[in-house]
Amino acid sequence: MDPGQPLSVPLDGHETARDAVMQDEVPPESHRDAPPAPPGPPPQPPISFAERKPGYTCKFIISGHTMAISSIKFSPDGTMLASSAADKLVKIWDAYNGEIIRTFEGHTEGISDVCWSSDSGLLASASDDKTIRLWSLDSDTPISVLHGHTNFVFCVNFNPRSNLLVSGGFDETVRVWDVARGKCMKILPAHSDPVTAVSFNHDGTLIVSCAMDGLIRIWDADSGQCLKTLVDDDNPICSHVRFSPNSKFVLVSTQDSTIRLWNCQTSRCVKTYTGHTNRTYCLFACFGVTSGKHIISGSEDAKIYIWDLNTREVLQVLEGHKDVVLAVAAHPLRNIIASASMEKDLTIRLWFDEDEAGSSD
Amino acid sequence: MSGTILNPFTITYPTAVQTSLISLSLFAKFDPSGRFVASGRNDGSAGIWDLDTRAAVRSLDGHVKGVTSVDWSRNSRYVLTSSKDWDVIIWDLASDFVPLQRRTTIRFDAPVASASFHPRNCQVVLVLLATGDAYLVDLRKEQRGRYELCEAEESDDESQMSRPRSFMTVARFDPTGKYIFIGTSSGTLLVFNTRAKTMVARHKISGAGSMKGLEFAKGGRRLVTNSSDRTLRQFNVPVYPPPNPERDYIEQELEPTHRFNDPINKTAWHAMSYSPDGEWLAGGAADPATHKIYIWDISNDGQFASTLDGGREPLTHVHWHPHKSMIASTTNQGNILIWHCPTPERWGAFAGGFEEIDENVEYEEREDEFDIEDESELARRKMKEEEEEVDVIDGLDPKPTIDNVRVVINENDEDIRWAMEEPDDDIGGWRLKVVMEEEPEMI
Repeated sequence: MDPGQPLSVPLDGHETARDAVMQDEVPPESHRDAPPAPPGPPPQPPISFAERKPGYTCKFIISGHTMAISSIKFSPDGTMLASSAADKLVKIWDAYNGEIIRTFEGHTEGISDVCWSSDSGLLASASDDKTIRLWSLDSDTPISVLHGHTNFVFCVNFNPRSNLLVSGGFDETVRVWDVARGKCMKILPAHSDPVTAVSFNHDGTLIVSCAMDGLIRIWDADSGQCLKTLVDDDNPICSHVRFSPNSKFVLVSTQDSTIRLWNCQTSRCVKTYTGHTNRTYCLFACFGVTSGKHIISGSEDAKIYIWDLNTREVLQVLEGHKDVVLAVAAHPLRNIIASASMEKDLTIRLWFDEDEAGSSD
Repeated sequence: MSGTILNPFTITYPTAVQTSLISLSLFAKFDPSGRFVASGRNDGSAGIWDLDTRAAVRSLDGHVKGVTSVDWSRNSRYVLTSSKDWDVIIWDLASDFVPLQRRTTIRFDAPVASASFHPRNCQVVLVLLATGDAYLVDLRKEQRGRYELCEAEESDDESQMSRPRSFMTVARFDPTGKYIFIGTSSGTLLVFNTRAKTMVARHKISGAGSMKGLEFAKGGRRLVTNSSDRTLRQFNVPVYPPPNPERDYIEQELEPTHRFNDPINKTAWHAMSYSPDGEWLAGGAADPATHKIYIWDISNDGQFASTLDGGREPLTHVHWHPHKSMIASTTNQGNILIWHCPTPERWGAFAGGFEEIDENVEYEEREDEFDIEDESELARRKMKEEEEEVDVIDGLDPKPTIDNVRVVINENDEDIRWAMEEPDDDIGGWRLKVVMEEEPEMI
């Protein structure tokens, strides 16, 4: 792809905003000017052997998508896995054996994100065709098409009650939608660059968003007011953000190949996770809480990294994919990780850690 | 949750209308979780509104004449409606059927003035008929029955003869559910034990006239009455002895701690509602030309604090949100006004590490503020800091509660045990299914 190509024209070869290289947004040099990471290998904290190291192995390799896979999410009940891709399709897979359940067609451009409602009955997908579509597992056609974003929609999530939907996109806004009526309720002029991730906290009272402007903002979901902004000195592009399960922290991936855990209350970074590569794409990161406390992220070196939440050491590196691992997801109940990769690979892999009692069928 | 980032949790009274819900309803009542509003209409239908989306999410169609009251079960799953069509209906919001079907119908032989759930068990229902009779309906298998709550007759026969029969005009459970308070047309408050269904006290409220309304502060230690003399009276709730086989009862005049009225216009009151912490009282004025809510500061000796002016549509009902500075007031045109406390936008929140200050502050530079430190030293210190354990799962902030609003319940109390027999299935964590509205304009 031509590095100087403006983003608003169709992206040659890559069909979603998430798969595109944002070179005109960030000169590659910009990070090198920034103060370097701690010289030499960072001092390793003492390794704690109290917790068993994870032993994930690849059990299923699933193919189906014909273009880069942008997002994968386990359903909250744990039975299904949804994937979205640049091939304009949303696919639903059996989370335990990788069999295809159904395919949703409708978007006219590539899809950057997909999410589940809390009852695992609805899906929302965010696309470069500037719409969000709502899908029900009972119907083949979208039950609702949300129009409003004036540019690519990049990220989408339901609130815990699933009566609201929040989305962000290249029009630099965060929008809150009424799911039942399919209407936009609020437009937050959230950022000054494309919004790369947005989600609610555990009780739906807060929204966190992050963008390519390097800012992480926390919003009051009811009033739509900005409550605070978290910003790092170097201002690296933010790839992904999400609340911790108790909403006291936010996990932020940035394109300086770093994942940070911020305390929302004190606005301080309390943990830093490094080792993976993230300089170009908006990679997902997630919490693994089914055995031990882990941070899981894909990487541009085609691997998946699993860190210990507290010690910050890399516990396991999963190898197998042949291209950038954009999306990872942790199963809500069992020790299963799903990962998905881009053009040269096009597979979804399900990784199981079966040493845990009762985790194998 | 947002409260932990916003200001510390304090309740004041709302000051401005946030939304107006066009509902054609007569009254609107928040649910105990504060997510919904239930409203009743004159055509017999009732509606459930979602405060997140400010949209009607369910219609409860079962009555054929005007709805006279709605009540919520404690976990908001069940809704009770009463109507002039002689029916009381229980609705289950956790049901997936749309349109929602009734779960139980309780039929009477007269128009129903009001109905409410027992605070501990929604299979026990208190019903007041427009004829002035009150019934306790127990739907539990073991206790099943319909019991009329009768005022104990005075021993002195002559006074009985000379006095006209008094009608029951308002009936409420106290927040513990142990007692039923009934106001009468002759200006008395009757207190019944719920389990024994016997009268334990009769309070004469001198000068009140016919009782029109009765509301408890959340903790249940105070109550406020509305009566035909256009005065709201607040009382401290006395302690009652357990019911005895002789059916003795206390005959006592209650002296109000506060009286609230409008000294200038002498308006009557349609409804009143305490703030969640009981520190404020809102009174909805029965003014024929304006929509006014009076706010009194209970913690400040009941001083008048403010009047909320809601425009020209006269007020019919007012209800305070269960835990926020939010009020729902209904107009005679059927619009529900949602009042809130607007918070000014904090522009400083848009910049990282900024703090807004009200006044200029002389900044004192720290001794080491501009010291240049070795970068590796800084990095090492940062790494050291990061070794501290964090918990990303637990330690959820408990719901903000205020001590004096908690209903004190002794689980061993005989009345409470009775109420908890055959517990209902009104459990927390149920979910209202999102029902997609038909979209005619879908492309």
